[in-house]
Amino acid sequence: MSVETLSAPTTRPYLTSLLSAVVNPIMALAIAGILGALLVMALGENPFEVYWLLISGSLAGIPNILVTLQMMTPLLFTGLAVAISFRAGLANIGAEGQMLVGALCAGIVGFAVDLPALLHVPLCIAAAFAGGMAWAAVPAFLRVKFGVNELVVCLMMNPIALLLTGYFATHVLKAPGPTNKLPDVLPSAKLSTFSFYSQVNTGLILALVLCVVLAIINARTVRGFEWKIIGLSPKFAYYGGIDVPKRALNVFLLSGGVAGLAGAEQVMGQFGAYYDNFSPGYGFDGIAVAMLAQFHPIGVIFSAFLFGALNSGSGVLQMMTGLTKHLVQVLQFIVVLVLAAKISWDWLTHFKKPSEITMRPSRSSTTSET
Amino acid sequence: MDIVEVLYSAVRVSTPLVYAAMGGLLTYQAGMLNIALDGFMIVAAFAGIATAFATGSLELALIAAVISSVLLAALMATFTFRFKADIFIAGIAVTFLAYGLTALLLKGVLGEDGVFMSNTIPRFSPIVLPFIADIPVLGRILSGHTILVYVAYLFIPVIAFALYSTRWGLRVRMVGEAPEAAAAAGVKVTSLKFQTMLLSGALCGFGGAYLSLAYVSLFANQMTAERGLIALAAIFFAKGRPLPTALVALLFGLATALSVRLPQVTGAAPQLLQLIPYVVTVLALVIVGVRTARASNKHGAWKFALD
Repeated sequence: MSVETLSAPTTRPYLTSLLSAVVNPIMALAIAGILGALLVMALGENPFEVYWLLISGSLAGIPNILVTLQMMTPLLFTGLAVAISFRAGLANIGAEGQMLVGALCAGIVGFAVDLPALLHVPLCIAAAFAGGMAWAAVPAFLRVKFGVNELVVCLMMNPIALLLTGYFATHVLKAPGPTNKLPDVLPSAKLSTFSFYSQVNTGLILALVLCVVLAIINARTVRGFEWKIIGLSPKFAYYGGIDVPKRALNVFLLSGGVAGLAGAEQVMGQFGAYYDNFSPGYGFDGIAVAMLAQFHPIGVIFSAFLFGALNSGSGVLQMMTGLTKHLVQVLQFIVVLVLAAKISWDWLTHFKKPSEITMRPSRSSTTSET
Repeated sequence: MDIVEVLYSAVRVSTPLVYAAMGGLLTYQAGMLNIALDGFMIVAAFAGIATAFATGSLELALIAAVISSVLLAALMATFTFRFKADIFIAGIAVTFLAYGLTALLLKGVLGEDGVFMSNTIPRFSPIVLPFIADIPVLGRILSGHTILVYVAYLFIPVIAFALYSTRWGLRVRMVGEAPEAAAAAGVKVTSLKFQTMLLSGALCGFGGAYLSLAYVSLFANQMTAERGLIALAAIFFAKGRPLPTALVALLFGLATALSVRLPQVTGAAPQLLQLIPYVVTVLALVIVGVRTARASNKHGAWKFALD
């Protein structure tokens, strides 16, 4: 390795980290945009027209913007959940399951308990938070206590959540009628919506506040600093006197709880009841949101807005072109793929010894350990 | 409920699981957990049915399925090894990319939204095995499947042989057990990992082709229905040994077959039977985790007990 590449990050570390935090996502978006345009062209559509439809369908006019904000809300929660855990070196990819369980808890408390709205809404939100936390507790505990790969456990917990919530919605607590859903939540548990154009509700404000609070915690508190150090090097954190297992467990539970809040917003704000299989994969989209945000809570706001806008604009594609909304999914995960590669490039330039790149949970030796 | 019929359908249902499990097992033995099995299969399923629809040839369809799946595996391997992307993140990205891409192409190329079927698509026909078909009960379970079913079960001994009785297999396992030692001994670690990933793609290619051309004769968005995940569960539960993995995959297939039949008879919830593979895997991980924690794991890259 030449002298220049070694000294580059150390001379102006702040500038480089800021640059990589902004340049990497933009590069990934550009690559995804170009590949997407090629794909659209291959399918015989005009890429400019398609991208213009996506933009105008999501941002032109107040109603469209309101729908975009509605689509953005669950992504804010799940993106934030993934970002918190990844920043601490824990890969919580179980946000989907945690969200479903959180939604189910909010749905049950929403219809089964009769309280004034002032108490009912916080209780439902707390139930969703607890549900998400409980679901995250399994991988978190196994990870911290026994060193079991949290990714595999999360992967398995997702379908378990889907099947269990499905069991509740189709058998145990099924509302009368043909649809697989729980009974409607009581009016006292509903989040108020702002307009009749879309289902955007107070959950959006909660999510934005949460993003700002977490950004402050990350930047200004000891706890936030400890999470970052654990993510960068658990060994260093340990020798620095941080109670690594305890903090890691806390972060993972917090992450699960935030993912559960996404479910609360869906049930109490957008649908008004727990519907079986309601999620089009918000938990997995959260991974894309968090990666594009480079795991920064304020960045999550921007990337959730972007993907929310793409999602809401993609509805038009189905009607106006020969494409489907899945184009957005393709773009989203090209971004993830490129950024996944990018992260490691950063690591390579920042650390001298290749062996130290395994500061995040090492995947190379996981099979032998688990 | 006819028990023989259930067992017959268990063999059928387990076939894609066996393909995916054999594919995932190879990478598992090489020390990688490949979670993109679903992505590989869905691409193969789409390429298979699209080719069969366009050309009317099952052979070409099978070839197209395998090639497309191998290409996706190559993409994932390139990002993992060349660009040093985290294999899990790459796996998730590739899987959802594959889901999205097939759904998009379904509309863009075949002009259908969500589901595609056509009477002109050829279909693998069932084969009556000459002698086995005459055995009273066993014959009805084992005979009358399509060629891809038999190929799937033939792959089990082939892969066991390749892993445990060839020089290549020894190296693969060495790479999985101790990559540093393997590299020191002159084994090309990355190259071997790349090879297992491509083979994983090829096997999933068969699995995907089976899904869309033999198991049913249609394509639907996300039609793999997390079979890759169940296969992964089987691999984990059997610790990546070929025969036990296949047996566990068969058991999971039986649970799936029962989850279709049992509710019709008893009115029970199908979800509870479908839960089995995932719950069993989490429990297995707990047991393995406790045991490994006791035996002070040596190469745990990120254990918290540092003292």
